[in-house]
Amino acid sequence: MDEIAVALPESTTTPVGDASVGQAKIEWVRRHSPVLNGFVRETLADGALAGVRIAVVVHLEAKTAFLATVLADAGAEVIVAGSNPRTTNGDVVEALRAQGLTVVAEPDGDYDSWERELLAAADYAPDYIIDDGAELTMRMAQFRPELYQRLQGVSEETTTGTSRLHAMSAAGKLPFKTLTANDARCKHLFDNKFGTGQTTVQALLNLTNRQIAGARVVVVGYGFVGRGIAQYAQAMGARTFVIEIDPVRALEAHMDGHTIGAAKDVLPTATMVVTATGGMRAIGEADFPYLRDDVVLANAGHHDLEVDVDALAAASTLTTEPRTNIVTYRLGDRDIHVLSGGALVNIAGGSGHPVEIMDLTFAVQGLGIHYLATTDLADGVHIIPKHLDDAIAAAKLASLGVTLDEVRPEQEDDSADWLEGIPSA
Amino acid sequence: MNASMSETVTPSAGQGRIDWALRGMPVLKAIEKRLTESGTLVGLRVGVALVLEPKTANLALALNRAGADVSVYCVGRNTDGRVASALAEAGLQVFAEEGAGDERDLELARDFLRTKPDILLDDGASLIRLAHREFPELVASMLGAAEETTSGVRPLRAMNDEGALHIPVIAVNDAKTKYLFDNVYGTGQSCVMAMLDITNLQLAGRNVVVVGYGWVGTGVAKHAAAMGARVIVTELDPIKALQALHDGYRVLSLADAAPQAEVIFAATGIAGVVTAAHVADLPSGAILCTAGGGAFELPMDYLDSTGTGRIVREAITEYTLPSGKTVQVISEGDCLNCADAEGNPIEVMDLSLSLQALAAEQIATEATSWAPGVYPISVDAENAVAVIRLRHEGATLEPLTDELTAAMRSW
Repeated sequence: MDEIAVALPESTTTPVGDASVGQAKIEWVRRHSPVLNGFVRETLADGALAGVRIAVVVHLEAKTAFLATVLADAGAEVIVAGSNPRTTNGDVVEALRAQGLTVVAEPDGDYDSWERELLAAADYAPDYIIDDGAELTMRMAQFRPELYQRLQGVSEETTTGTSRLHAMSAAGKLPFKTLTANDARCKHLFDNKFGTGQTTVQALLNLTNRQIAGARVVVVGYGFVGRGIAQYAQAMGARTFVIEIDPVRALEAHMDGHTIGAAKDVLPTATMVVTATGGMRAIGEADFPYLRDDVVLANAGHHDLEVDVDALAAASTLTTEPRTNIVTYRLGDRDIHVLSGGALVNIAGGSGHPVEIMDLTFAVQGLGIHYLATTDLADGVHIIPKHLDDAIAAAKLASLGVTLDEVRPEQEDDSADWLEGIPSA
Repeated sequence: MNASMSETVTPSAGQGRIDWALRGMPVLKAIEKRLTESGTLVGLRVGVALVLEPKTANLALALNRAGADVSVYCVGRNTDGRVASALAEAGLQVFAEEGAGDERDLELARDFLRTKPDILLDDGASLIRLAHREFPELVASMLGAAEETTSGVRPLRAMNDEGALHIPVIAVNDAKTKYLFDNVYGTGQSCVMAMLDITNLQLAGRNVVVVGYGWVGTGVAKHAAAMGARVIVTELDPIKALQALHDGYRVLSLADAAPQAEVIFAATGIAGVVTAAHVADLPSGAILCTAGGGAFELPMDYLDSTGTGRIVREAITEYTLPSGKTVQVISEGDCLNCADAEGNPIEVMDLSLSLQALAAEQIATEATSWAPGVYPISVDAENAVAVIRLRHEGATLEPLTDELTAAMRSW
């Protein structure tokens, strides 16, 4: 392969945090990550990733940092960038640098500095990317076409990034193989549902100091994220309501014990509303008349505009900030509160997913990169094979001391026997 | 819609949080109105010695607006300085300095008592006890006091049994509208959520041992189970233990439960319930914390004597035992929802603090004729709080008809 001259950005000399504090945070993650620290580490020890250059572009805090160190320990050259300018932790950045990893992210950045960081990561000419929202993949395609052609593969974290990869593939502009981690069962069944569900309820209560017992919580959207939020809120004593446009999902929510209804029917009772559709303006101008005074709005989906804060601000006659991460908009004689500016409330207003959940998600990512590096696949979008998905769950269960049964021969279906008796057509 | 018509207001951090809390306190607002209209507290000096944060600040402000002359005391570690400043700005006398040490706290406590409160609203009975030790003339002139917590009511009863209590005290904690809600839903929710916030872990699938199935233990078990934990309850009272069993939890002695206890919430308010021997049997990495009570429930002296304590994450200290196993203690063993979170949720404190306001009313109107002792709050006050909250939530009560009254009296 031809060497391409790469202009590497100058490394920063001023520390942006305390490496020992960052190291302690990463250590806390390590001890609660049995899958990454065990099964994944062992699998990656075959040398397949030695010398391979991997860019890790995920919210840069301790859990991501631990994934990066596992890849580095497997011999990979790891370049770490953030997937959001506001979630980079300086202590963790310094801890990674102290271990010899390349970090191109700085804390307290803005969208301009983040763009520069992503391009800096691109300039290291990664072989593989662990991406979030396909942010680096898209930028390399647009701004570093030569390096983009050299890419060997991408493993993508989110639903949004997955649809972007499919669009690129359909347009014939994806000249390498990709994996969609979100499609792994060990990702969406746990990360989206239990991770987002638990931490969204945590953030709601933590930011407001309000009580969940007796609260009337409306969840907009009943995908895996919405299911998780509704489940935890209900378990903690809230009365739960679901707004859903898909009749099958709405029926599922009904059987799960939530009250289903159109926005105009359920919003007027809500004391808290959480959007989880993954789309835009799930709560928009048309819904504002149905919101009661003192309602709390929060978003658990990808877009910062799932709650249309721009329209709220435009309609509001008075804006106050009574507490950190709460903005109150006055509409007529009603006060409407929005948490964390409508950004993902569990990340912008909390500490993100629990460690154990990210252990599973990042196991999917780490094994995904290994799978890409060791397997011949056609260019395009692929799903992690079932046996790897199963192996992750089995490793987690083994760490808990759980053993599973296997099917005994007499338990198998007798189709083989009766199929024989059917005359061939 | 015209965006240029919009105005942006940024209140001070203390005042903003006080205003935010008041939104969730409809009962306190109604009681304030009642006290203002009756004028019961006009001219009386009321000393408020509760954890100084936005919710209690609203009680102090409500009493002040109802005509009382209010002073406020709190130890430095439980004082939110921004809230203290906001109260001082509102004209209250504030004896609380964020971060003050024990000595300074004691000076402030004495200065607070020197304001000669007619009515004292206490938390943990520490000021009632200090007054009895050092200010006998104040005790002689006081109308009475109210006590918020289980752990404060216990020593007051002990004092009374020995004839050492010289004022009437209303045990607010014994009100059903307090312990059935504050202890269960308030402490339960906030301790479990604080544990999750501090550790960034899950409870789903973890073995969680709740030590003690009183009201706090009930709430902790309920909320931990809701988060997916497998809950084991330890209890010495057979009836409470049987309740725990019927609520769907395993019941074991702590010695039996210890080997599988991944998380322990001590919820007894009693010293020494978790011992060094229990700790030795825990699985390595077990997490210890206290809900409602304090570090005295855990074997902190033993753990400190190992000399191995090190902070591994904010608010988490890890100790290495002689066996090589480690345990993690949250918030140095102090009640974690107050030490490293924001205490109970607003709505539940609306109930508890409204009862404190009604206790002040009862002391002002009735306690003048009472002998020293520990008294319950009136049933009317308890019911008033529940009725106001129910109405606020749009709930309606079943009317008591003549037919029903007759049916209930029939024999």
